[in-house]
Amino acid sequence: MPHRGSPAQVLRERDDSAPISATGGTRHARKASVADAHNPDRQVSLRWTIALVVLALIVLARSGYAQCPSTASSCTTCHEIQGQRPVSRQPWHVDHGFGDLCASCHAGDPVAPEEALAHVGLRPPLADPIAACASCHADDHGQRAERYRTVVAAAPPVSGQGPPAASAPTGRMADRVLALVAALLCIPLFVVVRRQLREPRRPMRAGLRDKLWSPYVAGGLLGLVVAFSEVICGRPIAVSGAFDKLAAYAGGWLFPDSQYYAHVMTPGITWQVWLIVGVLGGSFASSKLSGEARLRWLPDTQWQPRFGASRRRRFAIAFGGAMLVQIGAGIAGGCTSGLAISGGAVLAPAAFLFMAGMFAGGIPTAWLWYRGRGA
Amino acid sequence: MMLELTKSLALGFLFGWTLHKAGLTHYARIVNVYRLRDLTVIRFMLTALVIGGFAIQAGLDLGFAARAPIPMTAMLANLVGGVVFGIGMATAGYCPGTIVAEAGEGRLDAWIAGLSGLLVGAIVFGLLQPHLMPVLARIGAVGRVTVAELAGASPWLVLLVFGQVVTLVLVRVARVRPAS
Repeated sequence: MPHRGSPAQVLRERDDSAPISATGGTRHARKASVADAHNPDRQVSLRWTIALVVLALIVLARSGYAQCPSTASSCTTCHEIQGQRPVSRQPWHVDHGFGDLCASCHAGDPVAPEEALAHVGLRPPLADPIAACASCHADDHGQRAERYRTVVAAAPPVSGQGPPAASAPTGRMADRVLALVAALLCIPLFVVVRRQLREPRRPMRAGLRDKLWSPYVAGGLLGLVVAFSEVICGRPIAVSGAFDKLAAYAGGWLFPDSQYYAHVMTPGITWQVWLIVGVLGGSFASSKLSGEARLRWLPDTQWQPRFGASRRRRFAIAFGGAMLVQIGAGIAGGCTSGLAISGGAVLAPAAFLFMAGMFAGGIPTAWLWYRGRGA
Repeated sequence: MMLELTKSLALGFLFGWTLHKAGLTHYARIVNVYRLRDLTVIRFMLTALVIGGFAIQAGLDLGFAARAPIPMTAMLANLVGGVVFGIGMATAGYCPGTIVAEAGEGRLDAWIAGLSGLLVGAIVFGLLQPHLMPVLARIGAVGRVTVAELAGASPWLVLLVFGQVVTLVLVRVARVRPAS
């Protein structure tokens, strides 16, 4: 089975200490990586790294959690993020779920942090569709309100009704099935893990100056970072949102009539923007320490054999691809970090559908770019 | 305010650090996932998913928060968005996070073409949103729920089975060795 396209090749690459980054290393970096490879103290370096990260997370956690900057309205913060009296899943909430729009229909004060203040002036939206709906649906607020009224008439919603709690028998049934599956999976797991343990162990690289960490170490660290962000700060690690927030400055100016920029995507220098500033710094620090930080115009490997040395060509294709990536993230409701990783970690079906879509779109695209070429 | 800013910066810093150390700041690494030749990204993401999943559940059970933010599941929108995203990712070798991380490493294509592409893409989405989303977001809309809630099962058991499957997949992938 190990033909050219098999994952086997990948491993060989990794074992050769990753030629991708090695091609671009400076003299200093090569020296460092050679030293690291034979350094018996590398394990110490790994321990230090982990200890420092854990310490940093603890310090951050102790410095008062649940106070991270949030762009969510106080409605969303209490009713959805903290799950106090979650909103019903009636069609009007589903229809308007694409934005943080609670106050547009229900009024109240979406920035007041306390319940008593935030609930001043709350209104039942259907009682006055002109006040509740007409600011966005000027032409057909009557029809829309009527449609929702028929739903209310069919099944009067209970105020403050949450997601339907699983009835006890179903819950127990699902738990039993899962426990059985988990028990059965232990058999292949045992076989596979035992076989894995017999094989010679490759050294785990995770020093501060190492060019490449095992993806399991890096991924595990990211998992902890995501968990900290989700639980302590109440928000995902999300990148694409920052670009929506920044582009909204231009969007709101170019399209002053757009409801999207007026209500759904308001501009702002929010936590998302600071997050990507941090990403920039983290990547710079990591690459500086491993001696890989330097200006360059083209990808190191694989690009030139396929697309040539033209910078203009790289920029055109990179620009188009980045645009599609941001549009796709907008449609799906997040990108690889905000939806696939952060959403997958909280077990949202959205994340797994998004990943399925990524491969359904990406595999044929990569095949089209590289068909008939070995590169 | 300073503290909040510091937290965002620190979390972003660690995210950027892991992206670079996992080697995701390379065009070839990203594109070759879709050619099934380099599964680093998959190892990285699945590990983060499982470790993050257990850590989040532990944090919730320890009482740090009542609920983690859960993204909206609207099946058609999630799928269609994923397809468009995958096409862009396999074309440019970018995802939004790695563009920023590539910029941090000094790559000028990411600074100039990548970042501007994201901003222009965000504006284009802003124009498409009123026409696309009312339709896309409605089909298969399930709301902000988790797999565990839908199945009516304990999140710990779902995580356990998920972790087992991921371990099997990753070990199986890692076991494949060149014929030579």
